Amino acid sequence: MTTRPLPAVTSLAEDLPGWLPGQRWFAAKGQDVASVRVERAALLVDGDPALLHTLLDADGERYQLLLGLTDEVPDHLRAAVIGRLADGSYAYDATHDAELMGGLLELFAEHSAAGGLDWLPEPGVHIQTGLRARPVGVEQSNTSIVFGEHYILKLYRRPAPGPNRDVELHRALVRAGSAQVAEPVAVVRAEGTVLGFAQRYLGDSAEGWATATASVRDLLAEADLHAGEVGGDFAGEAHRLGAAVAAVHADLAAALGVATAGQAEMAAGADGMHARLDAALAQVPALAKREGVLRAAFDAVRELPGTSVQQVHGDLHLGQVLRTTGGWVLIDFEGEPDAPVAERNRTRSALRDVAGMLRSFDYAALHMLAGEEPDHQRLTRAAEWADRNRAAFCAGYATVGTDPRADSVLLRAFELDKAVYEVGYEHRNRPDWVPIPLAAIDRATAAG
Amino acid sequence: MTVQDTTAPDAALGLAGIPHTGEAVTADGHLTEPQAEDFHHARSAPPQVDWYKSAVFYEVLVRAFNDSDGNGTGDLRGLADKLDYLQWLGIDCLWLPPFYASPLRDGGYDISDFRAVLPEFGTVDDFSYLLDQAHKRGIRVITDLVLNHTSDAHPWFQESRQHPDGPYGDYYVWSDTDEAYSDARIIFVDTETSNWTYDPVRGQFYWHRFFSHQPDLNYENPAVQDAMLDVLRFWLDIGIDGFRLDAVPYLFEEEGTNCENLPRTHEFLKRCRKVVDDEFPGRVLLAEANQWPADVVEYFGDASIGGDECHMAFHFPLMPRIFMAVRRESRFPISEILAQTPAIPAGAQWGIFLRNHDELTLEMVTDEERDYMYAEYAKDPRMKANIGIRRRLAPLLDNDRNQQELFTALLLSLPGSPVLYYGDEIGMGDNIWLGDRDAVRTPMQWSPDRNAGFSRCDPGRLYLPAIADPVYGFQAVNVEAHMNNTSSLLHWTRRMLQVRTEHPAFGLGDFTELGSSNPSVLAYLRRHGEDVVICVNNLSRFPQPVELHLSEHDGCIPVELTGGVRFPAIGELPYLLTLPGHGFYWFQITRPLEEGEPQ
Ligand SMILES: Nc1ncnc2c1ncn2[C@@H]1O[C@H](COP(=O)(O)OP(=O)(O)O)[C@@H](O)[C@H]1O
Ligand SMILES: [Mg+2]
Repeated sequence: MTTRPLPAVTSLAEDLPGWLPGQRWFAAKGQDVASVRVERAALLVDGDPALLHTLLDADGERYQLLLGLTDEVPDHLRAAVIGRLADGSYAYDATHDAELMGGLLELFAEHSAAGGLDWLPEPGVHIQTGLRARPVGVEQSNTSIVFGEHYILKLYRRPAPGPNRDVELHRALVRAGSAQVAEPVAVVRAEGTVLGFAQRYLGDSAEGWATATASVRDLLAEADLHAGEVGGDFAGEAHRLGAAVAAVHADLAAALGVATAGQAEMAAGADGMHARLDAALAQVPALAKREGVLRAAFDAVRELPGTSVQQVHGDLHLGQVLRTTGGWVLIDFEGEPDAPVAERNRTRSALRDVAGMLRSFDYAALHMLAGEEPDHQRLTRAAEWADRNRAAFCAGYATVGTDPRADSVLLRAFELDKAVYEVGYEHRNRPDWVPIPLAAIDRATAAG
Repeated sequence: MTVQDTTAPDAALGLAGIPHTGEAVTADGHLTEPQAEDFHHARSAPPQVDWYKSAVFYEVLVRAFNDSDGNGTGDLRGLADKLDYLQWLGIDCLWLPPFYASPLRDGGYDISDFRAVLPEFGTVDDFSYLLDQAHKRGIRVITDLVLNHTSDAHPWFQESRQHPDGPYGDYYVWSDTDEAYSDARIIFVDTETSNWTYDPVRGQFYWHRFFSHQPDLNYENPAVQDAMLDVLRFWLDIGIDGFRLDAVPYLFEEEGTNCENLPRTHEFLKRCRKVVDDEFPGRVLLAEANQWPADVVEYFGDASIGGDECHMAFHFPLMPRIFMAVRRESRFPISEILAQTPAIPAGAQWGIFLRNHDELTLEMVTDEERDYMYAEYAKDPRMKANIGIRRRLAPLLDNDRNQQELFTALLLSLPGSPVLYYGDEIGMGDNIWLGDRDAVRTPMQWSPDRNAGFSRCDPGRLYLPAIADPVYGFQAVNVEAHMNNTSSLLHWTRRMLQVRTEHPAFGLGDFTELGSSNPSVLAYLRRHGEDVVICVNNLSRFPQPVELHLSEHDGCIPVELTGGVRFPAIGELPYLLTLPGHGFYWFQITRPLEEGEPQ
């Protein structure tokens, strides 16, 4: 096995254009890759299999890849093979290899400089080694590895230089004493770029989405009971979740400050909403007849004197919260997906997060009906579930922060902005689901 | 003299001709009391330390189980006649609510003589016979002992109110006003307005945490402490295996406190424990303290020496949360309360239950959760009592067999010694039209014969009518019918108890919750030495998949415990199971067979 990695894997550049587009985390979905260049490759673990760290440039986008190199591919890794190197050995996606991934903990524990990277436990954290590694096994935009019941390491598939928002906000929250995040335990960096982020693994947790949809399932199995009457009522959880999100907002504000956005910024915000609407209108004809009410709702934001802004989660929905035995925890503070780094780091109104969660309740309520023949009774009852839990979330939020419903103009605009984005997304990816955000737009605009 | 007449409870309580407290009064005003030597003593139970940690308890009301003399009320001899049934079922210990002499204004918790048996139930010698027969079958017996108060009919109280300067004058908590201890809450909010009641005989107020006819004993008085320790000794001498100490948090009062869990209350419990340890090793004290586990653990005493107060305590908040979790199809109500439950001393054990003779207590849930529970489980306002729900397990679960099995499986596998409630093993119903908590205290249903086989008496004489509705009535639901059908709930329960007995992990093992991404599945691992058991429960009415992370047991084979079926070996990958609605699995984790190992 080679000890001079870069030349050895350059030949892989031929296989990668075929392989990359098949990966869930690949950004330019549905597009071909013209050229891939291996920017950096360094040996982390020698032997057979060997573990190699690489950064690629695929048509100008940077990706992180951990490669396993072996002369003989065991059966369970066959599906992970990317291609063959010049020396006849095979290269495969090493995140599928539990043995190789298990070794990463040692690098952290030793504060290693393997591969020219910095493997850095957080101050005061002692990393336990010898834990079994496994992929987290959920759909995600990065790749996370779980170690025993202790840690979860997120390898950023598209690492960006500079401070990493996910890491920084987690650290700030833990310093503020927040109980609503999973404690950071280590990072791995190359020069100024954070490549991976390890946190305490919350093994007793279930995702908010799974928890909420269990309740909806229970409701829809009943013929005529109201959402508050069925056994699986979720309002108590929604209430606690609201309080948890408000607590995170309060901690972020206390740790990183609050500013006031004046009228000019409100107007700029409204412009952004209009621009996103323009883009969606061009794609989805069904939006046209709602254009008037949407524009009116966005324009109303211009009339507002201003609002307070701070660091927020940035991409909050039921898939970004975990119900643990001790309460709700927020994960993944990377911020708005697809937005450039500078954009993500901007301060915003905390109501953005609230709007994201409120939209998510709506999705949870209606997801089982997507693609079904519309059934008035079922739709009404699902909508009742959404209303009940949205209200409970806001009421819970109000026990810690200000009741989000007090800022109705802004909250409504944020929700509609989000729904417009959803219409565009569903139109491209899941046409059956388009009615979900459309109905939300109709409900919100009919109400006022 | 009239004073003597009211002191002797003979007339009112039918103790004439039976040894009892206050039969005579000594020259210095002391009441003579029966002594243990006056009665038969039972043979001992098979010696076994820590028996209570893995025992299955069965709560049975003497009044409700079996009537031997045909007077319409169950009795101690009748219960003794049914011990074979309880042995067959696999019960390790009976818990009898109080059978002492009592005016029965609080289900016998209003004790008027600690050293006499309620005549309807029999005599002290009948109790000794029951105990002897139970021990012969390897079954232990504990009973309630109310330390905090007596009935106002107790000769001690009669003496105290009439002779403030006599030897009993200071046995109760007397005051000229009703103002002291105003921070103590009122427990029976439905019936009481104050913890003080004026006694016209003595011209003072007396303190009572429960009903006004139950004056609190004054534990500040060393003579009261000694007298109550002697009550313990009386029954322990006869051979009883322990006591459930009722209402323990309230023994002492102190101004400016809520008068619960005071340090001196704990000091007295340590004295009780010392009597047991020094004089009667192997017997147990079980605390009834309806409080949060973090507070209840105090009643186990000093953890550094394995506990020096009660051996056991009831875990109250777990029970409503089991109901809540299944209704919500979410494991978190259970996970949360178990995570909040502190570790207990080495010598201690929880007692856990689904139902008992009291209502389903809702003191340990938030207001919001209580409203939810009322709405879910007490649809008729008559089903509510105090702060709880008065129903039996089967009707609470809509008589759904799957849920009854799931709940029982949880009871038998969660950490703690399970306490079954008589009749729940055959899915008995309740009668919410009966007053107070009698809804769940109707006669045990033995057969489809007259009076459910409980009594030969004229049906009109029964202490409570047997359940006769079409669904739960004794014609359909009775032990005989269940015995004749091997797929009955009764047979199922018996098999589950057998499985539990075969695996020390259930009683002695530690508890680790196994998380999973499915919030409707509650999975946990119990481990005692080599014995490793995994329990997986689907709290949802719909079938559910679950992936468990068991790679720690890579290569091991899960063997399902009720049928012995070997499941696929555990590997590196998450272990996938599918469970039917309200289904559950118990697995033993066994190491794989070695090559060439004889099979
Ligand atoms: N600390 C944690 N404990 C347990 N599970 C976690 C933890 N962090 C993340 N997860 C699980 O991993 C999934 C992906 O995590 P996330 O940070 O959102 O990654 P991505 O940015 O790739 O979406 C989550 O949906 C959750 O199921
Ligand atoms: Mg008292």
